[in-house]
Amino acid sequence: MRARVRGCGWRRAGRPLRAALALAVLAPAGPVRRAVAQEARVGRDAVERITFPPLSFHAPTPEHRKVEGVDVLYLRDAAVPLTTVFARFKGGYARFPREQYAAGMALPSLLRYGGTRTLTPDSVDKVLEYYAIQTSFGGGGEAVSASLNTLSEHLPRALDLFGRMLGEPRFDTAQVQMWRLRELESVRRRSDDPQRLAFSEFNRLMFGDHPVGWEMTPADVAPGHPGPEVLRTLHRRIVCRDHLILGVTSDGAWHDVAALLGDLVARIQPCGDSLPASPIPRIRARPGVYVIPRTLKQSVVVMAHPAGVRLSQSRDYFASRIGNLILGSGGFSSRILSRVRTEKGYAYSASSLWTTPRRYDGLIGAITRTRPEKVVPAVRSILDIMREMTREPPSREEVRHAIDETVNSFVFNFDTPARVVSRRMFYLAQDMPADWLERYVRGIERVGPSDVLGVFHRNLRPAEMTILVLGDTTRIGREALETLGPVQVWPVERGR
Amino acid sequence: MSAAGGFRALAAALTATAVLHAAAPPAVHAQSTPGERLPVHEITLANGMRFLILPRPSAPTVSFVVEFGVGSVNEHLGITGIAHLLEHLLFKGTTTIGTRDLAAERRLFALMDAAHDTLLGVRGRIRPDSAELARLRSRIRALEDSARTFVVSNEFDRILSASGAQGLNATTTAESTYYFVELPSNRAELWFAMEADRMRNPVFREFYTERDVVAEERRMRVETSPGGLLYEAHLAAAYTMHPYGVPVIGYMSDIQTLSRRTVEAYYRRYYAPANAVVAIVGDVDVERTARWARSYFEQIPRGATPPPVLAREPLQKGERRVEVVFDAEPQLRIGWHVPDVFDDDAPAVAVLSTLLTGGRTSRLYHRLVEEDRVAASVFSSTGPGSRYPQLFQIDATPVAPHTTTEVEDAVYQALAELTAEGPSEAEIERVRNRIAAASVRRLQSNLGLAFQLAESTTLYGDWRATFRLSSRLRAVTPADVERVLRRYFIRENRTVAVLTRGDPEGHR
Repeated sequence: MRARVRGCGWRRAGRPLRAALALAVLAPAGPVRRAVAQEARVGRDAVERITFPPLSFHAPTPEHRKVEGVDVLYLRDAAVPLTTVFARFKGGYARFPREQYAAGMALPSLLRYGGTRTLTPDSVDKVLEYYAIQTSFGGGGEAVSASLNTLSEHLPRALDLFGRMLGEPRFDTAQVQMWRLRELESVRRRSDDPQRLAFSEFNRLMFGDHPVGWEMTPADVAPGHPGPEVLRTLHRRIVCRDHLILGVTSDGAWHDVAALLGDLVARIQPCGDSLPASPIPRIRARPGVYVIPRTLKQSVVVMAHPAGVRLSQSRDYFASRIGNLILGSGGFSSRILSRVRTEKGYAYSASSLWTTPRRYDGLIGAITRTRPEKVVPAVRSILDIMREMTREPPSREEVRHAIDETVNSFVFNFDTPARVVSRRMFYLAQDMPADWLERYVRGIERVGPSDVLGVFHRNLRPAEMTILVLGDTTRIGREALETLGPVQVWPVERGR
Repeated sequence: MSAAGGFRALAAALTATAVLHAAAPPAVHAQSTPGERLPVHEITLANGMRFLILPRPSAPTVSFVVEFGVGSVNEHLGITGIAHLLEHLLFKGTTTIGTRDLAAERRLFALMDAAHDTLLGVRGRIRPDSAELARLRSRIRALEDSARTFVVSNEFDRILSASGAQGLNATTTAESTYYFVELPSNRAELWFAMEADRMRNPVFREFYTERDVVAEERRMRVETSPGGLLYEAHLAAAYTMHPYGVPVIGYMSDIQTLSRRTVEAYYRRYYAPANAVVAIVGDVDVERTARWARSYFEQIPRGATPPPVLAREPLQKGERRVEVVFDAEPQLRIGWHVPDVFDDDAPAVAVLSTLLTGGRTSRLYHRLVEEDRVAASVFSSTGPGSRYPQLFQIDATPVAPHTTTEVEDAVYQALAELTAEGPSEAEIERVRNRIAAASVRRLQSNLGLAFQLAESTTLYGDWRATFRLSSRLRAVTPADVERVLRRYFIRENRTVAVLTRGDPEGHR
């Protein structure tokens, strides 16, 4: 998308005149010197005549090590005197009952903000900020993740603290209360952002009482919730050694880093009880139009139905990835953005979605935002495109373009050491082959137009879309909406 | 800009060859920051276009940023949002890319532009005839649909993305417009061919449809966003005269009435080589890259020097307050006028921002969020640009049942305490350490570095200038912070914007 940002920041004057003089004085003599360069041709013909040399490239591979039985993926990066450490623990709120959802959501934040057994939250903050150590703690239904980035000279201090934060949390009462109040405020403000509200309500609509559909409510964070016992239980069951994978990029040698990692791992207890399995969702498959009335100048539209393609090495999986690029995830090369934005001018953003989880069905559909009068025309355009995709194969050029885009951008998967390591950690955690990326590209290269038609024909059913519209129903027009299917108001879970 | 520009003209007159060739990185002082020691090669073409090339062969990719020194400060009422609209239109192709028959397209452009001129005349009447307006809109739409039969939509984008381009995009700010992309390094020449063609031969096709797209972008970023609405209202209240008060995306009535003719004239005025800086960072061969720079760009005419921005915001003489009513939870913004980034006080203002809201131990965060628990978040920033006197902005969201008034009072209380007692040496040391770490971290991203090199050159005429800021910031003392607090953070110099819940259409 073309984007606008707010310019801001601080800057101080240098000495432009002196710097420019230095440029002239230091300009060296050399073989490239000439008064007037020969002009290169531009335009389509010129672009088509450019030949590209083969890319000489050896993908960096992290070393797979063990520290006290814990998998560690280590990649030396001598470019900058920085060390990044990633920690990923299997297990998240999706493995536990709804009553523990708030605790599961709070856990990563409170590892960061809740202090340690020996350090108050304030002391932790002071150490982190004094040494300018950056940390990040997050989690989802299936994992808790944390990372730190530090100047390598501070690595011993940083890793010592990181180990205490992960393995010996205090869950300071005041910080738990603050997390609760912030979360309550976030619940209260959920309706302020139309897109956020539409997405979360769509998840609730499709997934119901499954962790994907859960949304925080005031009851989840009533006074006293989450309590200290449930926090400690979830910590003990998730943030334990057998669930841990570490990743490291550093200018330091493995030998030096390994000793420090050993101390970190020692602070994290072995796992006790095994984790319960997360539930398989039953995704709603009843088509219709669900409206959330809001008097806004722009509406949000989300539509989807269940789709059976899963992440695997199947032909359908690779065809679904190419098909999704052509349908609407490939930006300006995709059909949805080309028609809804470029051709019709209905929307700034419009794209398809096609999720392919490993263990259960995903969703196939589309998202857009448009002025009320164009909601129905925009939805119709998208449904028309979807119908086309189920009836006719895409052109060879479209498929070739999607493959080229994937294959030629392959090197960007290796453009930073942190990206290389964190991706390999994900594969390891998901029990996927270490060379999954290479297998993925090989699978993509074999996709043809008939594969794409086949996967859409078997999985995409435009007439069965569940369509959520958040917007000004008076201006959109009830009758117009009814041409898309039976219409009903979807009751929003109130945050206030 | 003026000093560097003046020198460039002088240097060109003295020696054509000196400015034509890549300069080897000069030796720098031993105390310089890591950034200043980067082996950046500088080239200035005969037409004034500047290139900065930084070889970083860690991965076979290369980042390109071209920055034009034009943004919303170069606009006025009637054409607000024009730089941003151009940001979109420059992806529409050229005289050969994106078209099947340029002459046929242009014949239709003339017809639809004439219909648009008529439409503007009708729209300008006190009581416009809505049926006539609808008929004219329909005619423009039909003509643009006819022209589309000669268009290869999004071909500019498609050529680059098929080559593995990542992050192809552009962004507009108050003072600059950036076009950027990353490519596999073996395809670097493609960027030169595409960008030079776009600079020399742009065609603003699909014009009226794209205007509708930008209108949708405004609805998304501003008109349905409580934060966007409040930000726009805050800047408009703080700047009564300077174009910093004008939104980058433009006002809706301007977006919907800009003409292709106006946009073309604006393009010719501001998008010339002498107003452009290119930064290239990644796995590149310097000699070959310099050769491409010359062969693809040097023959593009230099263009006229863009007119300077002469508006100056008068001294504020009393607190201003503005309220935005919207169906959303309350928000607060407070702003004080502070100098531009060239001023001697700028480093102390920047350090103050970090002292107040940089991290959980910062003054305002600790006070408002941790101690008093009246706010869920608090941030500070300076902007909306750098070149002209800025607004130091604090934005905060209260935690119910606390009000924006309570949060505002707490901000003033914390500032008064900091003014009275001054920051401690430990607080200043914490800020210095953050600056030192940031000066290393910023070296990690090729694209980030390319942005910084281009910005620094455009703003200061020297790519090293922003790296040198680290030293200036580290030299700030508690007394400097206290001085700027007393000088700028006074009631008469502030503008407060509050978002309150209500029905925004209720008064209609």
